[in-house]
Amino acid sequence: MNSFAGIFRRVLSALVVVFSVASVSFFLLATLPGDPARMVAGPQARPEDLARIRKELQLDKPLVARYGLFVKKLVHLGKGAGVAAHQDCGRASPLPGGYELHFNLGKSYQHNTPVAKEIATRFPRSVGLAVAGIFVQLLIGIVLGSIAAAKKGTNVDRFITSLSSLGVSAPTFLTAVLLQYLFAHRLRWLPLDGFGDTMFAHARAIILPALTLGLYGAAYFARLVRDEMITLLSQDFVRTARAKGASRLRAFVVHGLRGALLPLATAAGLELGALASGAAVTESIFRWPGLGHLGVDAVLNRDGPMVMGVVLVAASSVVVATAAIDIFGKWLHPFARETPGN
Amino acid sequence: MFSIREVSARPLGLVALLGLAACDIELSAPMATAHPGDATPRRGGTLRYASLGDIRSLDPARSSDAVASAVIRLVFAALVEFDEQGRLAPELAERWEVLDGGQHFRFFLRQDVRFHDGSRFTADEMKRSLERALAPDTPNPSASYFRNIVGYDSYVAGKVPHLDGIVVDGSHELSIHLTAPDAAFLPLMTLPSARPVCPSAGARFKSDWHPCGTGPFQLRQGGWSRGQFVRVVRSESYFVKGLPYLDAIELHFLVNAPTQRFKFEAGELDFVRDLAHADTLRFARDKRWQPSITRGPDVDIYGESMNTEVPPFDNVEVRRAVAFAINRKALVALRPLHLSVHTSAIPRSTPGFDPTFEGQTFDLPKALEHMRRAGYPFDPKTGQGGYPHTLPYLVYPQGLFEKSGQLVQQQLARIGLRIELRLVSWASYLSLTQRRRTVAIAPMGWSQDYPDPSGLLDPLFGSASINDTESSNSAFYRNAAFDALLARARVELDPQKRTAVYRECNTILRDDAPWAFTVSYHAFEVRQPHLRGYAPHPVHAFNFARTWLDRASAVRSPLEPAR
Repeated sequence: MNSFAGIFRRVLSALVVVFSVASVSFFLLATLPGDPARMVAGPQARPEDLARIRKELQLDKPLVARYGLFVKKLVHLGKGAGVAAHQDCGRASPLPGGYELHFNLGKSYQHNTPVAKEIATRFPRSVGLAVAGIFVQLLIGIVLGSIAAAKKGTNVDRFITSLSSLGVSAPTFLTAVLLQYLFAHRLRWLPLDGFGDTMFAHARAIILPALTLGLYGAAYFARLVRDEMITLLSQDFVRTARAKGASRLRAFVVHGLRGALLPLATAAGLELGALASGAAVTESIFRWPGLGHLGVDAVLNRDGPMVMGVVLVAASSVVVATAAIDIFGKWLHPFARETPGN
Repeated sequence: MFSIREVSARPLGLVALLGLAACDIELSAPMATAHPGDATPRRGGTLRYASLGDIRSLDPARSSDAVASAVIRLVFAALVEFDEQGRLAPELAERWEVLDGGQHFRFFLRQDVRFHDGSRFTADEMKRSLERALAPDTPNPSASYFRNIVGYDSYVAGKVPHLDGIVVDGSHELSIHLTAPDAAFLPLMTLPSARPVCPSAGARFKSDWHPCGTGPFQLRQGGWSRGQFVRVVRSESYFVKGLPYLDAIELHFLVNAPTQRFKFEAGELDFVRDLAHADTLRFARDKRWQPSITRGPDVDIYGESMNTEVPPFDNVEVRRAVAFAINRKALVALRPLHLSVHTSAIPRSTPGFDPTFEGQTFDLPKALEHMRRAGYPFDPKTGQGGYPHTLPYLVYPQGLFEKSGQLVQQQLARIGLRIELRLVSWASYLSLTQRRRTVAIAPMGWSQDYPDPSGLLDPLFGSASINDTESSNSAFYRNAAFDALLARARVELDPQKRTAVYRECNTILRDDAPWAFTVSYHAFEVRQPHLRGYAPHPVHAFNFARTWLDRASAVRSPLEPAR
C-alpha cells in the first residue's frame, strides 16, 4: 500500500513538474520579442498578409485565451476516430461510453504539420543517438577512469587526466568536424552526415555523431570513475577485504568499481535524459534528424506549438530519467538496498 | 623530446594544432567530364545541391522563402517568366495583350500543356489556382501583391465567392482586370502565388495537398522529407519538347558549409554556393577551378537605415553625414567575392537599374561638414565634439551585419557618431527595427520580391508602408514628392520613361539619405565541370532547368530507385 502510494505520489509530482515547465515555457515564449507570424511570412511580408497569417495561427487571440486553448487541446476527451476536429490527436485506450483520451500538441506554425507526429518521428532518433553516445561515454570513461585510478600518481594517470581535460574542453563542433574530416572526408569509411534509409545505413550514420557525443562525455565519466575509485579504494572496508585475502583485482572490481556505479549511473541517467531531448549542435552538424535541432530552430522561429512539444518531451525525459535513477540506484547501491527504511 | 607532463600542459595548443590542420586543407581537382569537347546535351543523371536552410512549404500559395522558390519554379510553370537575358517571355501563355492603358491583361494560353497528374491546363484551372492562392483562408504571405485585381477586397473579405477581375474568355484565354494600370503586374505573375496548381489542389488551400503543377520536374510521393531532402524527377509531359535533360534534381537541406565542401569534393554534390569564407577564397585562387566559378545575380541591397523620426536622424544633415562617412570598399573587403559597392535603391539585376546613376559616395571631409551643419561639429584630431549620446545599433548573429557593424562603428566614430552594437536574435531584430520610434539606426537588407524597382522602393521608402509596427519602411521616411514619383512609376508603361522616374527617385533618396546605401550581395557559385549548360540566371538563383550532366564516372544517388 505504502509503495503504491509512493508511486502515485511520484507520478503526480512528475505530472505537476512537466505541466509547470510547459506553462512557464508558454508564457516565457510569449514575452520574447519577435512575431511568430512574421517568422512564417518572412521578413518582407506586408502587414495585411501578416494579419491573414496571424488569424490562421490564432495569434490574434489574447495570450490567456491561447493558453486556455493549448491546455484544452493538450489533453481532452474525444469520441470517434474519424472526426475531422480530432484527426491530429494522439489517442489512448477507449474509456466507457466510447470516449477516448486525446492528446494534441497542435500544428507547427512553420511547417503546418501536427507537432505530435513530428516529435513521434524524431524522438526515437534522438533517444537512439543518446543511447549510442552514452554507451561510448561509459565504455571509454570506465576503462580510462579505472586505469587512471589503478595507476594513480603515475604518468599514465596524468596522461589520462590531461586527455580528460582536453575532451571536456574541446567543443563538440570542433570534435565533430575533425571526425567528419578524418573518417568521412579522408578515409571515406563513414558517411559525412545524414540519417540513411536502411538499418545498415542508420547504423553507419550514427557512428560519428555518437563518437562526438561520446568523446565529450567520456572525459567527464573518466574523471568521475577515477576520483570515486581512488576514494573508495582508500576506505577501510577495501583494506579489510584485502587483509581477508581478496585479490587486488577482486578488491578493485567488486569493492571499488561497483561502488562507483551509483554516482556513475546517476550522472549517466541525467545525461541520457538531457540527450534524449536532443543534442542540438551534434545533430545539426551531422544532420541527424532528432529533436535537438528541431527545438533550437523552433525557439529561433518562435514556433510556439513546436517549442511546447519539445519542452514537454525534454521535461518528461528528465523526470523519467530521475525516477529511473532513484529506482535503480537502490538496486545498485548495497547500503541503500540493505538498510531498512531506504 | 617532451614528456607526457609537457603535453598535458598544452591541451589547448593541441586543439589549436588540430584545428589548424583541419582548416589548412587544399582543394581536390575538379572531376572529369566524359565528353569535354562535345556541347550536345545528354539526357540522364541526378543533379544534387545543398542548402544551409530548410523549406516550409512547396505549395506555391504558402511559399515565402528563396530556397523553396527555386524548387517551386521547377515543379510549377508560370504564365510568363524571365528568360536568360532577364526579359519577360511567354511560358504557359503563348502571348498576351495589354489593353485599356494597362488595366486589362489578356493571356492566350498554350493548348498543349498538361499537369503532372495528366489533366489539361485551361483558363478555368488558371482562374481556380489564382483564386485558391488569394482566398481569405489561404496562409499566403504575398497575397496582397495582387490587391490591384478588380474585386480583390471583396474577395478577401469573403463577401463574394470569386474574384471578379479574373475572367475566363475561352478554354485557353484569360483576362485579368486591374483597378489601375500597373507596370509591375507582369513581373508579379512570375511569383509562386500566380503559378497554376493541379485540380487535386481544389479551390481552397489544404495543408496536406501533394504539390503538383506543370513545370519541367514533378514531385513524387515520398520525394520530400522535411529537414532532409527534396527530390524532383523529370516530367515526361513537360510542354517544351526535349526538356529537361536531367532525370532528377535533389536538394539536401540543413547541410552546413564545411560539409557542403566535403560533399562537393567527394562528388556527392554537383553545385555549391554556401561555402565557408575561407573555402570561397580557396576556390577563387585555384586556377583549376576558375572555369567552374560563376557569379549569381545581384538581387539584395544593404544599407544603414536611419530612423527619420528619431534624433539625431530626424536631421537630414546627420543622415547625409553618415552617407558620406561610410567607406563601402572597406565593407566589401569583408566578403570580396560576395559583395560589391552599391549606392542606390535598385539592385543591379533588377530591370530598371541605371548603371550611369551616381549614388552616395565616401567623402570624410564632406561628412564632417554635414555634422557641423547639423550642429554637432567634430574634431577628428582631438576626438572632441560630435553627437553627445551613444546610439544602440542592432545586429543579429551569424550574418554579415555582425561583422560589418564593427566597421560601421569605427567609421561613424570618425565623424563623432558613437554607436554601440547590440546582438539580438533574428526574430527580435525584425520586431524591433519595424516598430515606430524604437531603433535609431540599424543595418538593413532587402531582397527583391519580384524583379521590378517597385518591389523595393515602395515597401522601403513609400509613406504608405509606414506602420506603428511591422513597418517595412524602417526609416519611417515620408516625402510627398517621392510618393508622387512612386505613383507615377506604377502606372508608367513605357520602360524608358519609367527608368527616368526611378532615376529621380534615386536622386531624392541619395540626397535625403533615409538609408546610407552600402553594398549588394551576389552568390559565389562553384560547379563540377560535368554540370553542363549552366549559366547564372539574371533574376533567379539555381537555374538548373536546362542543364545536363556529363559525368566521366557513374555516381548513383542513394535516393535514386535501384534499376
